[in-house]
Order: sequence, then C-alpha cells, then structure tokens
Amino acid sequence: MKVMEEPMLKVENLHVGIDDRPILKGLHLSVGVGEVHAIMGPNGSGKSTLAQVLAGKEGYTVTSGSVTYRGADLLAMTPEDRARAGLFLAFQYPIEIPGVNNAYLLKAALNAQRQARGEPQVDAYEFMRLIKDKMELMQIPADFLNRSVNEGFSGGEKKRNEILQMLTLEPTLCLLDETDSGLDVDALKVVAAGVNSLRGPGRSMILVTHYERLLELIVPDHVHVLANGCILKSGDRQLARDLDERGYDWVQEEAVRA
Amino acid sequence: MTATTLDSQFARHFSAAQQQGEALARRSAAFARFKAQGFPTRRQELFKYTDLKPIAEGEFDLVPAPPTTAHRAAVAECIGAAALDFGGPRLVFIDGHFAAELSTGTGQVPFEIDSFAEHWDRSAAPATDAADTHVLANLNAAFMHRGTYLRVPDRLRLVPLHVIFAAGPTDGLAPQPRLRIDIGANAELTVVQQFLDAGNPAAWTNPVTEVRQDAGSHLALYRLQEHGGAHCHTSLLDVDVGRDAHFAAAYVDLGGRLVRNDIDVRLSASGAEADLSGLFLVGAGRHVDDHVRVDHSAAHTRSLQTFRGVAGAKGRGVFNGKVIVHPGAQKVDARQSSDNLLLASNAEIDTKPELEIYADDVKCAHGATVGELDSEQLFYLRARGVDAEAARALLTFAFANRVVERIALGRLRDYVTQRISGLLPGHDHWERST
Repeated sequence: MKVMEEPMLKVENLHVGIDDRPILKGLHLSVGVGEVHAIMGPNGSGKSTLAQVLAGKEGYTVTSGSVTYRGADLLAMTPEDRARAGLFLAFQYPIEIPGVNNAYLLKAALNAQRQARGEPQVDAYEFMRLIKDKMELMQIPADFLNRSVNEGFSGGEKKRNEILQMLTLEPTLCLLDETDSGLDVDALKVVAAGVNSLRGPGRSMILVTHYERLLELIVPDHVHVLANGCILKSGDRQLARDLDERGYDWVQEEAVRA
Repeated sequence: MTATTLDSQFARHFSAAQQQGEALARRSAAFARFKAQGFPTRRQELFKYTDLKPIAEGEFDLVPAPPTTAHRAAVAECIGAAALDFGGPRLVFIDGHFAAELSTGTGQVPFEIDSFAEHWDRSAAPATDAADTHVLANLNAAFMHRGTYLRVPDRLRLVPLHVIFAAGPTDGLAPQPRLRIDIGANAELTVVQQFLDAGNPAAWTNPVTEVRQDAGSHLALYRLQEHGGAHCHTSLLDVDVGRDAHFAAAYVDLGGRLVRNDIDVRLSASGAEADLSGLFLVGAGRHVDDHVRVDHSAAHTRSLQTFRGVAGAKGRGVFNGKVIVHPGAQKVDARQSSDNLLLASNAEIDTKPELEIYADDVKCAHGATVGELDSEQLFYLRARGVDAEAARALLTFAFANRVVERIALGRLRDYVTQRISGLLPGHDHWERST
C-alpha cells in the first residue's frame, strides 16, 4: 500500500504579472517526490516566467496564489535561501560574469549550501575530488575552472556548465529552463546524460521545453501544456509526442470547447 | 593658503643664506610661476569637476620639520603592519624627510640615489621644465625638501624598488615629495610608490614624479595610495618614453579625501609604448580625479589606458583621458577605456575620454561606461546560493580586479587584492561618512 506523501512542490492558483500585464493566470501544478515533469507550450505562454518566479527573480508581481516547496512558503524566501534549500534553476540564458572564475563560483555555491545544512566547508582538494568525475561526464576540460563564468563560452558550453553546477550542488528540485534550446544532437546527449545521472527517488525535476526531442532522452513521468498562463492539459510522454506531431493549436481549441 | 603665508614660508626656508645660487633661482622661478596662476579653480576646464578649495583655503606647512620620534615610531608600526617586502631596497620618507633608519638595502644597489636639489646644482640641463606647466608642480618645485634622484645605468636589470611616502599623525603638514628616475638604455626597473598615513592626519601631499627612459628600457611604476580619509593628495607623473622603451603604470587609489592625479606621458620616439592603468574606490564623501594625457609624438608608438572606478555613497570619481596623435605620428595604436561602477544612487562619476588626431594612418579607440551592478549577474549568483551582500561584494571585486590583475608584481598584486577585499560593499569604507 502506498503512503500518501506531501508533494515536493505545490503551485496553487498562481497569478503573476509584470508591470500590470498578467502572464500566469491561475496556474496549478503538483510535483511529487522523485517525479519528472515536463512543461511544454508555445512561445510567450509563461513557461520561463514560471521557472524564474520559482527561483525568485525580482521584477515579477505575484498577485495571488501560493507555492509550497517541501512544506515551506517558497515565495517568501530569498533566491539564495531557495537555492540553499535545494532548488536549482538551470538558466535558459546563463549569465556571463567576467572576473569571477568557475571554480570560485562552484565552490562558493557548494559551501553556501553546506553551511545552510550545517555541514563543514569543502577545501580545495576535496572540491577537486568532488567535481572531477562530473566534469568528465559533462565533457568539460580542466582549464575551464580558471575561466570566468560563462564568459566567451559557446551556447553548448554554457548549458553544459549549468548542468555541471547542478551535478555539483545535487539539488532536490531541478528546474531546467529550455536547457535543450540551441544544442546540437551531440551536446543534447551530453546534457541529457548529466540530467539523467541525477534522477533518483528523492529528487524531482521540472523540464521547461519547446521540443519533444529532449523528452526522448530525459523521459518525463508527466507532461503539461502551458498556454496563455494556465496549464491546459496534462498527460504522460505520449502527450509530448502528440504535441510534436500536431502542434499546440488543438490543445487550445479543446480547452476553449471545454 | 594665502599668498602672504606662502611668501613667508618661502622666505623662511629658502633665502640666499641657506641655498646655493642655482637651486634658489629655480625655486624662485617656480614659485613665481605658481603665484602668477594661483591655485586652480573650477572655472578652469582641467579642474571642472575637482574643487581644490580644501587645499587652497586650508593652512598647511609646505616645509614640514623633520619628523619627531613619535612620528617615526608610528610610521614604523604602519610599515611593519603592511609587511610588504619586494626583495629590493626600500626608501622611506616621513613628512617628506628621508628616514634612513626605516630604509633598507640602499647601499646594495648599483645606482645613484641622490638628492634632487644636488642634482639640480650639478646638472646643466634643466630637469623639471616638462612639469612646469602644471600649477601645483610649480609649488612642488619651489618647496620640495630635497627630492630623490635615481639614475639606473644602461643595461642594468634591478630588483623592485619600494618607495614609501608616509605621513605622521599631525594635521597641517604638506610635504612636497619629488622623485626623478632616469633609466639608461635597455635597463629595467620596477618601482612601487606607496603613500600611507600613520593615524588620520588632515594633511596634504603634493608629489611630483618624473621619469626619463632611454632607448629599449623598461619601467613599471606601481603607485598605491592608502591615505586616511582626511588627507588631500595632488600628484603629477611626467614621463618621457624613448625609442622602443616600455613604460607601465598602475595607479591604485584606496584612500584620501580629495585626490587629483595628473599623468602625462610622451611617447617621443618610434616604438615607445605606454601601458597605463588605474583603479579608484571612492566612498563616504571622498573624491578621486585621474587626469591622463598621452602624447604620441612619434610614429609606431602604442598606448593603452585601462582605468576603472568604483563609487559608493556620496563618493565622486573623475576620469579624463586625453590622447593626442601629433602630425606625422603614423601607425600609432592608441586604446583607452574608462569603466565605472556606481554602488549608490548618490555616487557620482564623470568620465571624459578625448582623442585629438593629427595623422591619418592610425588606430585609435576609446570607450567609457558608467553603470550599476548588473541585476542579472546578481540574481545568477543568488540563484546559486550566494547571499545578496556577498554577491554584490564579489561582483564589485571582479570589476576592480581587472585592473589589479595588470600588476605584474605578484606580492603587490596579492596585497592590493587583499586590501580591496576589505573595502567591498558591506565594509564601512562605503558607509562611514566623514
């Protein structure tokens, strides 16, 4: 018999806007522990807004609704507190930070989490030991650690770097915002291998994507269609294939009829 | 400082009874040139953003007495605390006076360290005319105590020279330090020029540094200004770079109340190069003004200017960089950048890059930016668990570090890095108001 468990993330009736312009209009989403959810939808549907609001980006106004993450009010937390509580956003457009090298950021991020969990800081030696295999998995060369964060990186390198950070921080809830966009097939396979290596019973994931091809490599448990600020339809991986074949219009028409 | 006060100080220290004829004549001529102009005011274009009133209306002793035992002890403690050792000789000046007991290694090096005034007496050619057009440099020429003259013989490669100008904890002193460096052909030298205060004196330091580089020589001049928050500082660096010679300078201004740096570099022969960089951190009502002028007087000369400024609450930074490519100076490569970071809404930066080009086959580029910390970068760091204040400090450091990493002398670079880390947002350098 299965014990009913609290979901990892529960989004209820979420309304979000920018400058009085509504973007999310009553979104509901429940992500169970260990589940992988895909959120698909046309451009401008609010997918990235959802990812950014969950990570705590400023500039959005939450007009109503709630987000509960592991029993806590997520929206009341600062971005850094969310990160330390195990939430990780892989950025759609990873930010370049000239003058801050990758090793420094990775170590600072890792130690911030460890400190929040009451664990000792890692030293330089232990840090290297920790990330060596992960760098290999993401096919990232050693000299990368001394380079400035994302500065001069190709699109593929930036995305692999996001996944390296995710592997290093071992988050509880992974949000991947269009991580597949701009990647060729080989790079996509590397990224998918990294993401799949993190899948496990205690960890949940939300994949925000445009394209079904990512979901052939990272197979989701649930697929949702987000359009016009609401989840219009939910299903399993077959829904993603249907969307790939038929586009989004039929879902929207179905929703209008209903 | 009224004309009467200056006159009486001059008469007291530099009468015919105390000075040799030639030196006195030069002092008098320089003093006359100063008096003809007086202290610069904001009506003059070159001082549009920098008000020298605290100096012009202050009362200063331009010829401080030799430092007391207390001053010497206080400065010794300061130098000990900084623990900067570059493995070469160290010259220490306190209130403008050479402090032999704190200086080290001066006997080991095979170059002349001489009194500038004596050099004046012995040399036929005028040594200071190049600097005479700067008003405050005239005051320096009139009132300097002795000055230091350094001649590096041809082909000599030297360990770094550390020159410390320290102020003791007494208000109202205004030392006028003078440093002249002549570098022989193919010789190499690194100089660290450090200004520091023991205590927090309301003083004024008005240094003039002159550099003459012969063909193929290399000089790196690192100037580190760490005055207390009540100290005014007006400096002139005047450099003449000879054929295929290379001059590098890094100006780091971490302290001071009112700071004005003039940097004049002439690339006077083919192949001459200048690599100039500067960084200031101004907060809490402080003011730093970097005025750079590079003259490309010959063809195939190159200059690079990399200046950065960080201004916190009520801080004010000024950058003015002028590049002049003279007629006939073809194939010149001149690049200049001034990038500035505002950490508070009441901080102010004025930056003005200028190009004057009188040759047609040249490559010149300049750019100036003034901005705040990037909110996208801040969010990215916070989304990785770095708290907001640490993220601000990290980004500020990264911004400043682009200049610091241009310092080739590792021990100095580490020291500056460490000093800057202590002055980042969150530290009271930015919050304290004076």
